[in-house]
Amino acid sequence: MAACGPTLQLGRWIVEHRGGGLRLTGTFLRVGVMNEMQYRINFFLQLLQSLLTVGTGLIILAVVFSKTDDLGGWSRPQLLAVMGVFTLVGGIIRTFIQPNMQRVVEDVRQGKLDHALTKPADAQLLVSIRDVRFWQLTDVLVGVVVLIVALVQMSSTTQWQHVVAFVALLLSGLVSIYCFWLMLASASFWLVRMNEVQELFDGLFRAGQYPVGIYPGWLRYGLTFVIPLAFAITVPSEAVTGRLAWQSVVVMIAFTIVLLVVSRWCWKRGLRRYGGASS
Amino acid sequence: MIALYAAHMRYSVLQQFQYRAANYFYMIGMIAEPVVYLVVWSTIARAHGGSIDGLTPGGFAAYYIVWTLVRNMNIVLTPFAWEERIKDGTFAGQLMKPVHPIHEDIAGFMGWKLVVLLLWVPIAIVLVLLFRPTLSPTLLQGVVFFFAIWGAYLIRAIMQWSLGLITFWTTRVAAIFEAYYLSEMLLSGRVFPLVLMPKWFQTLTWYFPFRWSFSFPIVALTGPIEDRDLFIGLGMQVAWILFGIGVLSLVWPRAVRRFSSVGG
Amino acid sequence: MAIIEVGDLSKTFTVPVREQGLRASVRSLVHREMKEVTAVDSVSFTIEAGEVVGFLGPNGAGKTTTLKMLSGLLHPTGGRCSVLGFEPKGRPSALLRQITLVMGNRNQLQWDLPALDSFELNRAIYRIPRADFVATRDELIELLDIGTLVTQPVRNLSLGERMKMEIADALLHRPQVLFLDEPTIGLDITMQRRIRSFVADYNTRYGATVILTSHYMADVQALCKRVIVIHHGRLVFDGDLTALSDRFTTQRTIRARLADGEEITILAARADTASATARLLAEHDVVDLTIEDPPIDDVIEQVFADAHDAP
Repeated sequence: MAACGPTLQLGRWIVEHRGGGLRLTGTFLRVGVMNEMQYRINFFLQLLQSLLTVGTGLIILAVVFSKTDDLGGWSRPQLLAVMGVFTLVGGIIRTFIQPNMQRVVEDVRQGKLDHALTKPADAQLLVSIRDVRFWQLTDVLVGVVVLIVALVQMSSTTQWQHVVAFVALLLSGLVSIYCFWLMLASASFWLVRMNEVQELFDGLFRAGQYPVGIYPGWLRYGLTFVIPLAFAITVPSEAVTGRLAWQSVVVMIAFTIVLLVVSRWCWKRGLRRYGGASS
Repeated sequence: MIALYAAHMRYSVLQQFQYRAANYFYMIGMIAEPVVYLVVWSTIARAHGGSIDGLTPGGFAAYYIVWTLVRNMNIVLTPFAWEERIKDGTFAGQLMKPVHPIHEDIAGFMGWKLVVLLLWVPIAIVLVLLFRPTLSPTLLQGVVFFFAIWGAYLIRAIMQWSLGLITFWTTRVAAIFEAYYLSEMLLSGRVFPLVLMPKWFQTLTWYFPFRWSFSFPIVALTGPIEDRDLFIGLGMQVAWILFGIGVLSLVWPRAVRRFSSVGG
Repeated sequence: MAIIEVGDLSKTFTVPVREQGLRASVRSLVHREMKEVTAVDSVSFTIEAGEVVGFLGPNGAGKTTTLKMLSGLLHPTGGRCSVLGFEPKGRPSALLRQITLVMGNRNQLQWDLPALDSFELNRAIYRIPRADFVATRDELIELLDIGTLVTQPVRNLSLGERMKMEIADALLHRPQVLFLDEPTIGLDITMQRRIRSFVADYNTRYGATVILTSHYMADVQALCKRVIVIHHGRLVFDGDLTALSDRFTTQRTIRARLADGEEITILAARADTASATARLLAEHDVVDLTIEDPPIDDVIEQVFADAHDAP
């Protein structure tokens, strides 16, 4: 029953803020773009960087393919699809989610969160959108291309239901990751060492490059439930490659909603503690 | 000069010991990478009759566990650090001292490695229990390994320090550094043991410094490697260190001149 | 031979031009305009051993740039300078061992350990013989009164305490020339005074030459007999501080307190001070009288205003 409060709040918040929130996001995006435009070669360099990273990943896949046709039950085009999803999810995380959450941790550590708290917008919204690393979107571009190539290679088995399920699961997977990061960032209200834990996550994220099924059991559970990596990458990949049952879609979305509520609650608790502790 | 190194190393050890928790978090995050590779290759090996190109899952486990030590040893000053140094005046301060700034970084990281070596031992024990590597080096291999890991460190330290100097000419250096890192990833033996690659690729890696910072120290310990190759490897390390010093002596004066005309 | 000789020293920078708005930002992706900025314009002066000289000027006037050229961090684009007979440009090791640069608000000390450890590091860097090192270090600790602080990690110290550490750290190798760039910036009044008195003390004791930049008049007033005023990169005044006041003061303030408690303040032109005072005394029942120069800050402002108007 304790979850009712935050859920109602969430509902009310969405109703109140949808217009203002969108406008605010738009403003931040525009300022973010202007900031980045100042560095003129940036776009090309960033694109180059994305291509290099994906290129390396593809070369590694090629080496894997040279030794085998199949990894843990996943065929070549399916593994390629996973790589595409991994790149694109990584790009979105690095563009929208990670910079903001890392900034929250920094601000809490230095007591600078007051800036965000005294503005007339909802604090969680504000701290979640104020930093946008615009150029990381090149990863999304490249990831989508790789995914399309993979799908073309599997053209005989791809159906529109898969794509729809994919988009839905991708979005919910991204929201799960956002919630996870929010909880990590909220933890910084209590623990000082959050910077390092974030680095830990960064390292662990690499495990998403391959379908989670290949890992030994204990690691698999960790990656699925402790860190929603599997939800964000493997599950959408399974959807787009037609390996997923529709029941899983429902489970995923339900899980995401639960995460949204839980993470908001953590955030609120953290804020309260911050308000009490900061001088 | 020795006194200078001793002083920097002592300071570094004391400082990093204070940060041992942070170090632990970082080291644990870092093992995700080799574990991923280990699982992938072991899965393939098991599906193909137990081994590929002579490496069994036990062999892969040995490779990647030693990898974690070598990886920690070859962490050096990131080229990205230069932007901050120039901006906050640290670099200017270093220029005012009558010694070359590189010594501070090399000595400082050396001190850090001593702490890391200590912290690594429990992590290694856990990994050994989880993945059961097969490892049986000779004494010569052990000795060469000890020298090789410091050689690996010096190669990478000098090369990346020189690379970082590019920051004096342009601040948007991320892509350049990333390109360097990524070619290193592929050519060094970091992602896959070089023995898995075709012959032409393995020959190609001789022409880059990366292999000697990574694959060589690992294979020196895990084998299979001939005694002769152990010494050739050490020789190559020395050669690349000298190469790095050469590059540095070309780039450094120009970097200082650039800083002094533009003001940083 | 003078310790520092500067002739027609100049420094110009080329900087990109930035414009406002989204469209201009996009345009700048393709083409960037540059413009030339003169930071220091033909400055000349000579400084003898043991002097304490203040560089005065508003922010961006070129004082720090000049200082950086003297310490070898920046290469001049014109003119010449020499410090202790060396050209700072090449950063010769022999010169670096005899000078020191302290920048206010900048940390050169190692952050996580006590200052004593940083001192040891410096000893190794400058190769100071142990006996000399211990003697100098202990003297500095006493002069700066940091005995209890040197054993604490630097990050636990306040800004003022950290500044004292930086100064001690900078003087361990007994440099002959001290370049102090805004050393009291951001510090509270008490700490400012303490650092000023230390610098004066140090100069008297060891005969070191001190060049100090500041935009706090109080720093300069307390320490420097000689000031060099730099404005818009040009040397506007070089001489005694008192002469500065004399040359640029056009008015003086006369304050009188009358028997009935009233106070009168008159601004008189310099030439008329005597006659104005006389008239005041004659016309009113004056109990107390003071004649003041305008505050030195106003004088400096006047100097800048004049310099600004001059071609």
